[in-house]
Amino acid sequence: MLLWSSHRRWMRVSDSKLDLLQGTLDLMVLQTLASMGRLHGYGIARRIEQVSGEQILLNQGTIYASLVRLQERGWITAEWGTSENNRKAKFYSITKKGRKQLAQDAAYWQRLSGVMTRVLALEEGGGE
Amino acid sequence: MMGWGKQLAHRLRSSFADSRMDRELEAEMAAHLELAMEENLRRGLSPEEARRQALLRFGGVEQAKQQQREARGLSGFGRIAESVVQDLTYGLRMLRKKPAFTAVAILTLALGVGANTAMFSIVNAVLLRSLPYRDPDRLVRVMFNEPGLGLRDLTYSKPEVDDLTTRTDVFEQVTPLAGGNVAMSGVRQAERLELAVTGFDYFSILGAVPEIGRVYGRQDYDPGFSQNIVISDEFWRREFGGDRNVLGRTIRLDGDPSTIVGVLPPEFRHPGVTVAGNVDVWAAAGFSADPFPKPVRGQRSLNAGMIGRLRPGITLAQAQVRLSAMANQLRRDFPADYPAQAQWTIEIRPLQEFLVGDVRPMLLALQGAVVLIVLIVSLNIANLLLARASGRQQEMAVRLALGATRRRMIRQMLTESLLLSFVGGIAGIFTAIAGLHFLMRFVPLNIPRLNEVRIDSIVLAFALLISILTGLIFGLAPALQSSKVCISSAIREGGRGSGYSTKTGRVRDALIVSELALAVMLMVGAGLLLRTLRDLLHENPGFNPTQVVAANVWIPVPDNPDQDPYRGPTAKIAFDRELLRRLKTIPGVDLAAITTDLPTTNHKLNDPLGNQALIIEGRPVETTQDLRAERIRISPDYFRLMQAPLLSGRSFTDDDGEGKQPVAIVDESTARRYWPDGDPIGRRVRFGQDPAAPWRTIVGIVKDIKSDGLDIDGVPHIYVSAFQDPWRSQSVVLRTSLPAATLESQIRHEVASIDPNLPVFGVTAMNDLIDHSLAARRFSAQLVGAFAVLALLLASIGIYGLLAYMVGQRSREIGVRMALGAGQGDVLKLFLHKGLVLAGVGITVGVVFSASTASLIASLLYGVHPHDLAVFLSVPALLFAVAMLASYFPARRATKVDPMIALREV
Repeated sequence: MLLWSSHRRWMRVSDSKLDLLQGTLDLMVLQTLASMGRLHGYGIARRIEQVSGEQILLNQGTIYASLVRLQERGWITAEWGTSENNRKAKFYSITKKGRKQLAQDAAYWQRLSGVMTRVLALEEGGGE
Repeated sequence: MMGWGKQLAHRLRSSFADSRMDRELEAEMAAHLELAMEENLRRGLSPEEARRQALLRFGGVEQAKQQQREARGLSGFGRIAESVVQDLTYGLRMLRKKPAFTAVAILTLALGVGANTAMFSIVNAVLLRSLPYRDPDRLVRVMFNEPGLGLRDLTYSKPEVDDLTTRTDVFEQVTPLAGGNVAMSGVRQAERLELAVTGFDYFSILGAVPEIGRVYGRQDYDPGFSQNIVISDEFWRREFGGDRNVLGRTIRLDGDPSTIVGVLPPEFRHPGVTVAGNVDVWAAAGFSADPFPKPVRGQRSLNAGMIGRLRPGITLAQAQVRLSAMANQLRRDFPADYPAQAQWTIEIRPLQEFLVGDVRPMLLALQGAVVLIVLIVSLNIANLLLARASGRQQEMAVRLALGATRRRMIRQMLTESLLLSFVGGIAGIFTAIAGLHFLMRFVPLNIPRLNEVRIDSIVLAFALLISILTGLIFGLAPALQSSKVCISSAIREGGRGSGYSTKTGRVRDALIVSELALAVMLMVGAGLLLRTLRDLLHENPGFNPTQVVAANVWIPVPDNPDQDPYRGPTAKIAFDRELLRRLKTIPGVDLAAITTDLPTTNHKLNDPLGNQALIIEGRPVETTQDLRAERIRISPDYFRLMQAPLLSGRSFTDDDGEGKQPVAIVDESTARRYWPDGDPIGRRVRFGQDPAAPWRTIVGIVKDIKSDGLDIDGVPHIYVSAFQDPWRSQSVVLRTSLPAATLESQIRHEVASIDPNLPVFGVTAMNDLIDHSLAARRFSAQLVGAFAVLALLLASIGIYGLLAYMVGQRSREIGVRMALGAGQGDVLKLFLHKGLVLAGVGITVGVVFSASTASLIASLLYGVHPHDLAVFLSVPALLFAVAMLASYFPARRATKVDPMIALREV
């Protein structure tokens, strides 16, 4: 019974907020690091939330899977440092390879979203 | 993109550094949460609310950790290892939770894998492993054949041996293999030993290395027998107590002093035929001086049996081509020695094939039977697992809902099955080790190379393979089944079971049908083998073996004919007459007789001329093709003693002796074969191609006696009087009510009082000899029979289990049916019908498969057709009856369902 109710709630929530498409989080992280420079995980998560106008449903914890994935591909690097409140935190920065990848992926997304916009516009026009 | 090397390094690092990375991640997450809390505090939230909000936004710490772990190293060893360990621990827990199921599964697996492993260790040693000689692939058996006369593996002369190395270059070396009985005399009463007589290159051909001393070689050359002999480890320990000072000791063999120069290692075996048991003594000879006949091409008196080592680089086919060409050339060069119609030729076969070819069908059939058994065992376990898997549907559904992937669940189920099969396999290996000793006690000793049987790495690999295969067989179906679970319905059903789901049902039905089909195949095989054995046991051997005791006597052959007291027929005949006179005086002995061909034994080895071309007087040469007969020398009372009825003419008498007209008696089938439209009595025959051999007049026809073995037909026999044509290797038979053990000392005493140098051996009741000759058949028939019973049992358990499970699952439905007015009979019919349909389909499939494969064991059958109607009718009938019984009990339980209780449970 418990499973059922929680399932339904999840459905409702996702009606109002955007679910993340596969692979988009990685791109957001890269873009955030490219524009903001060195940041820790919390900073990245907050920044994405702010930029999206709080429209994205992001479990902040999921950012760490993305970070380790990007690190593994050599697109970002990490080092321990001290945060603004004098705490030990891990700081991430984008690498040269990461910037190249970002340029590629961003171009791809722009093309895709352009196509999507056109297709959806066409759909509406044709339907009415 | 990152280079694959770097990626690999990273994965390696991440798997080894898993715990370190976990710690770092924890620290990082802690920092994250603190940062979030501080921000919330700044926004004016209470500390408690700030913390709650921070955690909420973070969304599950453990989940994030797991996600990060999965992302790191993608498919890193660590992760896999971790999940494998998880699966294993879980699997172990599941097995422990169901001890009855686990015990049954492991026990049947241990039996199945154990039987397979034990049988394979025999197959491996006898059929698969190379012969234990140097470069065994180049060893061949050489045979001289006369296809024109239908004769194979004939005797040969010394010049023909030499041709093989002088007239062609295919062989490095060749050696004749002769031998048989030899008398060791001089110590106590003479003892019979098994002797191998070889050429001087014998040990160099085989690459044998002695345990102590040396083996003989060309330096020992002697045109007759070399005095230097080599003995077996077994004989060394038996006779000399393993004394290392045995070298140089002299023993008397057939009267001749022979010096021991070496002892062979215990595992060495002679690659040839023996009369009885392993070779004790090896002696080398040049085969061209006394006691051998003059080396004349046409004097083919050397025992059949010759091996050779091919030159390196030459293939068997090439060698055969050259040898055939050489044989053609010889026939042209010596037309007098090679009559055209005989088409004398030379054939070679791989030695290994020659040595083990006879037992191959039997061993393969037994291996096939144990493979069938292990398949049935796997199907049975698959069924049990499937039943369990249906019971676990809810568990699976919950795990799927909690986010387990289907692949992961298949892996979990397979891990459980493989774990089971692995444990079963280990148990099976121990069963095999323990069972092999047991099995070897029943394995007939006439299977060659049994001394090489052991559980080695290949056998262990096979055991592992079998257990993994069985694990996959019985694991795959339930695993695939469980992964197809539909989450919502399974959870809603809540394991109460709404009925017998069709999908699972179909898989289980298929399993039962296959199990039954395999059982049919095993049962048909067992039926055919057992019928063969029963027929042979009831086969009329042509004589009455009850109350007959047999013993063998060997008259030695000294190297120097002048020292031979039994030179020429007269002395031997005198000995025979005296021996019979004395044996008849033993109290309790009614009759005594002599034969050179004791039924069902291998004494022909000492009688190379026993199976010879035959010439019938007055018949033109071109019609004498395929004329041959086995010559058996008997004393007058033989037929009377064996109670073999004489059909016409007369038996031999004491008067049919030396100097009288040579006489012969043919058996019924020989008479019919060679004189199809006339009476053979009064006709004359001659053995061999020697024109000086005497014509023998046929005086009688006797009913067929199965003297070559109960399962051997079609060998023509011609009996001649031992008082006209005596032989050195002979057996005495006594009709007596006394047991063999009682008579043994008296027989020995009577022989010794005539001549203490003659060994007596193998004193046995005739019935035991016949029994012994059926040992291999009995072994295979009973083993397969036992497997068939096991298969029947497993199959009926399978049907019973399936129906019992169905009844349990459908009790609600039964309740509804009964509430709506179905009678007990209807319910009974419902389930009986299910069981009988399954049995019918399985049996039909099995019969079809058996019918198409039965001919594979045709060579193991005797007098029974591979499609024997009785077997093919009784096996399905029996299995059907058992299946009906196995279905009846669960079906009857179904009728006992109380509709009220069943419905209330809903």
